[in-house]
Amino acid sequence: MNIPNSSTAPAAGEYAGDEVSAIVLDPGYSTVRAGFAGEDVPKSVCPSFYGLTDEGKYLFGENAIHAPVGNVNIKNYWGSDGIVEDWDTATKLWEYAITSRLTGARPGDPAKNGLNDGADANGDAMDMDIDAIENNEKPLEDSPLLVTEPGWNSAKAREKYIEIAMEDWGTPAFFLQKTGVLAAFASGKASGIIIDVGASHTSVTPVLDGMVLRKGVQKSPLAGNFVSSQIRQTFKQATPEIPLTPHYLVQSKTQVDAGAPAQATYKSFSSNPPTDSFRLNEEDRILTEFKESVVEVWPGPGRFTNGTNEELAKNMPGRPFEMPDGWNQVFGPERFRAAEGLFDASAALTSETNPRPKDEQTIPRLVQAAVQQVDADQRPMLLSNIVVTGGSTLLYKFNERLNYEINNIYPSTRNKLIAPGSVVERKYAAWIGGSILASLGSFHQLWISKKEYEEHGAGIVEKRCR
Amino acid sequence: MASGRDVRDMLGLPAGADVPKAAVQKRPKPAGGSRKIQGVAREVAALYGERPPPVAVYEEKKAYRAKRQSTGPAKKWVQQPFTNPARPDGLILKHWRRKPTAAPAVQESEDAAMQDSENLDAYLESCTDYVKYDIKVDMPTFTDEEYDAQLRSDDWSREETDYLFEVVQDYSYRWAVIWDRYEFEPSKNRQITQDNANADQEQALSTLPFAPSKKRSVEDLKARFYEISAKLMKLRIPEVQMDADQYSTYEMLTKFDPVMERNRKMLATALINRNMDEVKEEEFLLTELQRINMAANRLDAEREELRSRLDAPPPNQQVSAGLQAFTSSQALQALFQQLFQQDRSKKRASGGGTGPGRLSLSANDMVHTPGSAQQQLSAANRRQSMAQQPTAQTPVKHLSPHQEYRFNVSTHDRLTSGVTFGSDKLLKMRQAKSNVQTQKIGTMLASLGVAEVISIPTSKVGDVFENLITKVSKLLDVRKVREKEEGECRVLLAMKERRENGGSASVEPRPKQEIPDSQGTPDVDADGENDDEEDAEGDPENDEDEDDAEGEENEDRGGFNGEEDADEDLDVDAEGEDESSKQQSRATSIGGAGHKRSASVFSQGSQQSSKRLRK
Repeated sequence: MNIPNSSTAPAAGEYAGDEVSAIVLDPGYSTVRAGFAGEDVPKSVCPSFYGLTDEGKYLFGENAIHAPVGNVNIKNYWGSDGIVEDWDTATKLWEYAITSRLTGARPGDPAKNGLNDGADANGDAMDMDIDAIENNEKPLEDSPLLVTEPGWNSAKAREKYIEIAMEDWGTPAFFLQKTGVLAAFASGKASGIIIDVGASHTSVTPVLDGMVLRKGVQKSPLAGNFVSSQIRQTFKQATPEIPLTPHYLVQSKTQVDAGAPAQATYKSFSSNPPTDSFRLNEEDRILTEFKESVVEVWPGPGRFTNGTNEELAKNMPGRPFEMPDGWNQVFGPERFRAAEGLFDASAALTSETNPRPKDEQTIPRLVQAAVQQVDADQRPMLLSNIVVTGGSTLLYKFNERLNYEINNIYPSTRNKLIAPGSVVERKYAAWIGGSILASLGSFHQLWISKKEYEEHGAGIVEKRCR
Repeated sequence: MASGRDVRDMLGLPAGADVPKAAVQKRPKPAGGSRKIQGVAREVAALYGERPPPVAVYEEKKAYRAKRQSTGPAKKWVQQPFTNPARPDGLILKHWRRKPTAAPAVQESEDAAMQDSENLDAYLESCTDYVKYDIKVDMPTFTDEEYDAQLRSDDWSREETDYLFEVVQDYSYRWAVIWDRYEFEPSKNRQITQDNANADQEQALSTLPFAPSKKRSVEDLKARFYEISAKLMKLRIPEVQMDADQYSTYEMLTKFDPVMERNRKMLATALINRNMDEVKEEEFLLTELQRINMAANRLDAEREELRSRLDAPPPNQQVSAGLQAFTSSQALQALFQQLFQQDRSKKRASGGGTGPGRLSLSANDMVHTPGSAQQQLSAANRRQSMAQQPTAQTPVKHLSPHQEYRFNVSTHDRLTSGVTFGSDKLLKMRQAKSNVQTQKIGTMLASLGVAEVISIPTSKVGDVFENLITKVSKLLDVRKVREKEEGECRVLLAMKERRENGGSASVEPRPKQEIPDSQGTPDVDADGENDDEEDAEGDPENDEDEDDAEGEENEDRGGFNGEEDADEDLDVDAEGEDESSKQQSRATSIGGAGHKRSASVFSQGSQQSSKRLRK
């Protein structure tokens, strides 16, 4: 028997896969993920932040939004409630995410696409442009589209999704699935509780047999961005205040001692300075870096602020961090503070702009509330399948703490956290689940076809995508 | 610069050291050469030295991987459009398939290609692989008439019932999801628009009973659905005609009790919501229980093992020789006695103030039946198992008679506990129960020249002495019998004389009879006489009786002797009876007495039996 290599086709019936070159789109607050179903990572990951110039031109993509040019406002199309707010931009951004890396511009007729033309044909070139525009209007005519949505999406928003897919992009088939369900699928579970700590929102979704239990869906704004704001506050409250200088302002830096003021030469943007929103976005990048390399979650037992634990933390070795301008310091116990608010509202740093978060918004309370809404018979089963996903769960020791907290609430059940080890699987779990789902042969029956959409209207999404 | 010799000079080594060095260098070569490491550069291999590399090195060409099939031109794949028959709308999707190599695959020119593509466009695959996943749920159905006749409920409107059935079908009986998604609104707006034409009163009437949309629990939904299902089932198939499966489902449906379900769930919730302390306590109790169970199991197993050893010794003599001693209840009694002693001494040693332990033995246990004694023993034996088991399992070595003689080894059926002196044993044998008897034995031995104290009382000497004593006692017995018979003969002779001399014999024999009986008051009653005789005889013959009993207790052989004696006595008795057979009236009592007297010589047992006979 031979081991199959990359060129051998899988045996018929070996897995229920039957790929129809579907595209999976998983929009999130921080990034939009898009790729072909059946692949293991999204091919196209582009930021959800976009640039809007004063002339009303949209700038999409990593390169565009981080270029320090003037008159560009950095925005995000998501609303504060975790539902898409700016639908026009969202449509454009998603289309960019799909077409820039996946489908490309549709090929024109070979007779007119310019490749076979002589140098003298000016009129033909004009025709070609018109064709290209026409083709670009319907970028997804070949590919079915699976889109993910948050568990608390409104019925109106859901109808908007299918309208965009059918009307604007002309996809032959469409399906809408909740991120929680897909994240569970990515971990090979049909039932479980999905704890998704993203950028803007933390959500807890109980899923039973591939269906979200709507009453149990919980969300709170204590997520990655909250941690960032906590760090920002830590820097502000430190004495002396820790300066936050983004990369684009620094021309060159020299090495300084820990805690010493930075000695760097800065760029000057006298003629066309970047906007404040641009600077904010760039600062957030540094904070993200800080989150990844310094911030640590107190792993338990007990809360960080119970007195003894803080003493313990003081004896632990610190972690150094260097700002783009060369300022650097070793961060001791204060690095535990930033993420403690996720679990313990009273430990969160507060200020006028950042009021104290509510106790119900902390992750343990969310889990408790979600489980409370589930039928008593299902609770132990769900608690033994807790899927952890989302980029912010990559915080150091996050899972240990979560495990401690959940076992503290439910000491009598067998609680099991399922957290994929690899970063990609953790960050893009919903997309991967969508990729699995849309590449299954058995999924062919579930697509909402264009014909059905035309017959029943946008309301069909409520009926079919449960 | 400095040659090898200079270096050697400096280090003070002998100049001729070249030869052994070369020999040393030569030796490893063949060993290294024979095991050639492949797939590694020679220089790298040399670094390994003599030792084999720590990890196995394989050549790259040995990787077990399928080779690319590079024969012939590349296979063609096409994006094959297909429909799924499970879809009602005939959605056409495309998937990649190997191009079907139909007829002349290899044709030249664009013509063929054109044809191919046309054919493919026309061909629409019907992909039935996944139709099997298109599963519809079985639902009970009912008509309007049925609903009106049977299924009405005060709590449920027709509209809501229909909605319930719809939801159940949509979520295929997943009740948790059904309850989650169950959002029945008694569609007011629809009704309002509908009823706009009608009178307001009517609208109020139609909506009123169901106006407040209730929050229904899973149990409510289940109860309603099951109730309808059961009724419909009964309607379709009468109860009598249901087969076993159907009836069991029917029963299950009718027996659904929402209140009980609710209570059960409340308990389940309470179980989940326990706090850490309660859980810890439960855990502790559980481990405790487990520990107790394990201990009990072990105890049972040990008991079982012991019981099997005591109850049914295996037939293998070699192994069970040690156990053989415990198969009789007497031996067990003895063993128990021993254990009891040990237990007591142990208690005394430990201070004794600890109170009665569960496993300690008490004197009461001794009087139990063998069965219960066994149980106690098993308990006791658990303590003593260390001491007991080795003895039980020591294989018994058999010696030849010669060897036994030589090493002075003796085997005993049973041994009394403790150590005794051989001289004590001899001394004991000398002594009978009565002083008269002891004196008689003493004089007998003295006349034979046996010393009072035997200097070296070995077991052999003891045996011989024992033989001697039995013989002595036998002789004494015989003498006693002889004297008795002689006495009787004398009496009879005297009676004969008297009868011959004087005619009237009715009064006179009585004083004569008193001679052996030593009884003052004569009795006429036969029974009374017999009783008196028994009592009277007890006194003078007591010595003899006890003597005999002792003899029997000591040795089996004593019993043997007794039997021999009995034979002799019987003969004598028979003679006596023959002699006295002529006198019918008297002879019965006298002969009986004689018989009785002689019997008393044998043993207590025989005497008792004869007494019983006479009574």
